[in-house]
Amino acid sequence: MSRFPTRPIARLGGHGGIVHAITYSSGSSDFILTGCADRTIRLYNISRASLDSGNPTSGLVKKFSAHGYEVLSLAVNQGNDRFVSTGGDKTVFFWDVATAQTLRTWRGHGGRINACAFGGEDESVVVTGSWDGTVKIWDVKSNSPKPIMTLDDAKDSISDVCVFDAEIISGSVDGRVRSYDLRMGMCNVDVIGHPVTSLTVTKKGSEILTSSLDSTVRLMDRENGQLLKAYRDEGFVNNELRVKSTLGQNDSVVLSGSDDGMVYAWDLLEGDVLHKFKHSDMREVKGKKPSMTAGGQKDVASSVAFCKIRKEWASGGGDGNVVVWGIEP
Amino acid sequence: MAFKRPRPSSPSVSQKRSRAPQGQTQHGGYVKCGTPMSMEQDGDDGAFVPVWKQTVTDDRGRRRLHGAFTGGFSAGYFNTVGSKEGWTPKTFVSSRSNRNKDQTNAPMQRAEDFMDEEDLAEAAAARQLETVGAFAGIGGADQPAAVHDGLFGLMITEDETMGVKLLQKMGWRRGQGIGPKVRRHARIEDGEGSGSTDAVPEQLFAPEDARVRVFAPPTSKRGGLGYRSDAPSLVQDVQPDAIRKVPLGLPSLEGISDALRPKKPKVRKSGIGTGILNDNGSDDEDPYELGPKITFNRTIAKEKKMKKPTSIKASKFAKAAAGQRHVFVPQRDATQTSSSIDRLCRDGSLPLKGFSLLTIADGLGARHKLPPPRIPEGWTSSKNPLGLAASRQPLQSIANATRASTLDAKGRASLLSEKALPGKSIFDYISKEDRDRLAALTGKNLPPGLGQQLPEDTKNQSFSQGNDLWGFVPALDKHVATAALAKGTTGWMPYGDDPKKRARYIGFLEIRAGLKDGLPERVPGITNVEWGQELREFAQAAHVFKPIQGLMASRFTSSTSHPQSHARGGPSHTPLLGVPEPKPEDPAETAAKLGMYGAMTRTVIPFHPARLLCKRFNVKPPPDVPFDSESAPRSSRTEEPVSKAAMNQMFHQAMIVGSSMSHPSSAEPHSAAFIPDRAAEQAPVDSETNEALLENRASDDVFRALFGDEDDD
Repeated sequence: MSRFPTRPIARLGGHGGIVHAITYSSGSSDFILTGCADRTIRLYNISRASLDSGNPTSGLVKKFSAHGYEVLSLAVNQGNDRFVSTGGDKTVFFWDVATAQTLRTWRGHGGRINACAFGGEDESVVVTGSWDGTVKIWDVKSNSPKPIMTLDDAKDSISDVCVFDAEIISGSVDGRVRSYDLRMGMCNVDVIGHPVTSLTVTKKGSEILTSSLDSTVRLMDRENGQLLKAYRDEGFVNNELRVKSTLGQNDSVVLSGSDDGMVYAWDLLEGDVLHKFKHSDMREVKGKKPSMTAGGQKDVASSVAFCKIRKEWASGGGDGNVVVWGIEP
Repeated sequence: MAFKRPRPSSPSVSQKRSRAPQGQTQHGGYVKCGTPMSMEQDGDDGAFVPVWKQTVTDDRGRRRLHGAFTGGFSAGYFNTVGSKEGWTPKTFVSSRSNRNKDQTNAPMQRAEDFMDEEDLAEAAAARQLETVGAFAGIGGADQPAAVHDGLFGLMITEDETMGVKLLQKMGWRRGQGIGPKVRRHARIEDGEGSGSTDAVPEQLFAPEDARVRVFAPPTSKRGGLGYRSDAPSLVQDVQPDAIRKVPLGLPSLEGISDALRPKKPKVRKSGIGTGILNDNGSDDEDPYELGPKITFNRTIAKEKKMKKPTSIKASKFAKAAAGQRHVFVPQRDATQTSSSIDRLCRDGSLPLKGFSLLTIADGLGARHKLPPPRIPEGWTSSKNPLGLAASRQPLQSIANATRASTLDAKGRASLLSEKALPGKSIFDYISKEDRDRLAALTGKNLPPGLGQQLPEDTKNQSFSQGNDLWGFVPALDKHVATAALAKGTTGWMPYGDDPKKRARYIGFLEIRAGLKDGLPERVPGITNVEWGQELREFAQAAHVFKPIQGLMASRFTSSTSHPQSHARGGPSHTPLLGVPEPKPEDPAETAAKLGMYGAMTRTVIPFHPARLLCKRFNVKPPPDVPFDSESAPRSSRTEEPVSKAAMNQMFHQAMIVGSSMSHPSSAEPHSAAFIPDRAAEQAPVDSETNEALLENRASDDVFRALFGDEDDD
């Protein structure tokens, strides 16, 4: 197993609240887009950012502000010229990156929108999952203000959606992962048993990583719904907040934030904890129990994102910082 | 139309009577003696009246066409328009969009709409009654009652039914009977007797025709309870002494025809106020019959004494004159008049050996009039006299009976010895003191509180060792216990780390499955509460591993009652408060909590992606996608009781279970527990036997009791 990036290489500051969403840009992944509780979306250039705390906005390229509520999720398209953001204002914003203007807004959800994802051929649809328990699919190509489709099977809030090939996968607080297969016209409902907060599909598409509020990250077999691996740690706490988990390093590492500001990395196959990081301290934690800092409620590692092409990942937390971790030079 | 003649009160057939020739209606016409009766009452005898004397009246004799000074307006009003309002033009209705021919029940314009009263009367006069169909003369094929003259059958309607045609193709002729030919002597048909039958050899003859016996429709049985009809019944009508025999040569025929024809009942004279509603009520008199009900003699002379037929022989000869038809001999006559030909069947043959013909006298009439069996003196019913008394009570409505009943649902259940459903009440949670306080406040017989000693239960004799301890044993359905046990034999069983506990678990399951009696065993030295907790844990574990019951099971929830209060507290009390039972957990959820992800946690539901969505994803839509899938399929999932989607889901569930059974290597080992259940569910089908057909026929009494209540006489 290759080395894991453990050294913080950049700190992206300037946020006025919890960073709810972090997304690497597509392609070369030079940019990071962050969605914050201060209702703005920021675009950072990682290469220009520094660890220097004296310049909190180093590397900041652009700010996108149209949201009236917190920004909860982001999705960037493959061409890097458009992205979608959703948040507490029940509205899906479709942005043009260059002009920092919203090209389109879609209204129709009845509550805050927790997740969004691009999907379809040429990313022609946007899939959003909302607190109102519905997944709505919006058409990018047409001017229709109405969604193409609404999936309302969930009995509770949708916490995450993702799209793989022709399947739309939604994770809900009712503890179920629903995979809508458009080809077959079938929906596989897998019961996780606890509210699902994060979904990540592997590159192969045959497994899915789910975080749920029982302090467990699970790797599920999408074929038959069986549990392949459960990732736990005695220090790993995730039972009340929506924290993201992700896969990295060519799907060999499971990375997840936690309620207490830690970021855990597990080996995907073995299930062992590889590393533990304290997000707010920007350091790796060795040993059993990390020292509890006086961060209180705000000390949460709410979002993590792994760079697809480099050994690099980023974590965002309640302190309003995004830390980019990389290999030591 | 005005009349040229004053003809006041004669709405006669033809109001426009042409003037009769003068000479005929004058006094000298064809009248030879007496004075001729005037055709008109008012003296309009067609005599010449000068024009200035003629008046014009309408059909009621009112004068119309007044002079200009005597009411010309009235003349125009009454003679031309016919309504006070004058002409009322029809409002124009455009038929462009509403075509007349398109309307299904459009008002058809008839010629009568354009006729005035006069024309209508004329049209009515021009109409004359005609028979429909080909009638030739007197006889009609479908009129058996029209045989009162002896010429019946001489003239028959020309058209032939298909049956007649078929019979004729088979060699049958009119007037013959149907059946094989009979060898007999030829009958001399001149009515002189049969003196020389010996000389004539026997020939083959067609069988004699037999009249189809027509039974009179049942009458006078539609009155209410206790009603006694004044109308004489038909049977009384056809008493043998009342059969009128007309000495025309067809005595038997005449007799039966008279008997069969439903007679006009003799109208009983009733007093004033005999109307439609309170008439004498027989059904075969038409209350709406027109005309006065006058009884009169239809014969001028004194009614003839009816002659009885002298013999059958005579009647046969008589019939021979009529072309040897209609040899129907009424049985009553036959039995009474002749013993030589006794009781022939309808076709004239003798009844089968060992059978005797039923006659009204000894059969039908007497059959239902058997007196009830006499109860021997001193006999007392072995039935409950209380029940007898109860049955004597006037009928109660169900609602009244329910209200009067002192039993509640649990009491009835205990009467029927039903098994109590598992459930809990608030008294499982409150202490004895609280319970006593509640009981004192309400004065009701309350179920025992928490940990309270329960009263003796007489029902469970076998559990007498610890009736109170049974309160700690949680209820578990038998099939659940059996399924959990079966699962244990095939593989997975909880408490693998503690073999003693597992043994206790198995013991508990066996007890609940009915395989073993007695209390579940307990770890020595633990309290009852701890023991009950363990047993509850066992029950929960068994529930976890019971097979998924399918969607149908989750659609219904059974009402729960308190088993202890049912068993111990007696039927008369009701618990004060009901505690809502916690919702049964989804078995998939339970399995997920236990970490058993896989087939148990996966359900497949159909999903109809919108066509546009499939297009955007560049996938071929599944074949069952409707065109407008945004509106149609998804919203209807919960509206129907069992929607199509839900049915599909059930099928998929069944498929999942089936596939996991057929591939045990890939599936969970627990699914093997389904096998005995599913095998038991399928009823054995034997295509060779049909029990419903093979069963013995019930006795005739049963049928008679069920159906044979025609009560005819």
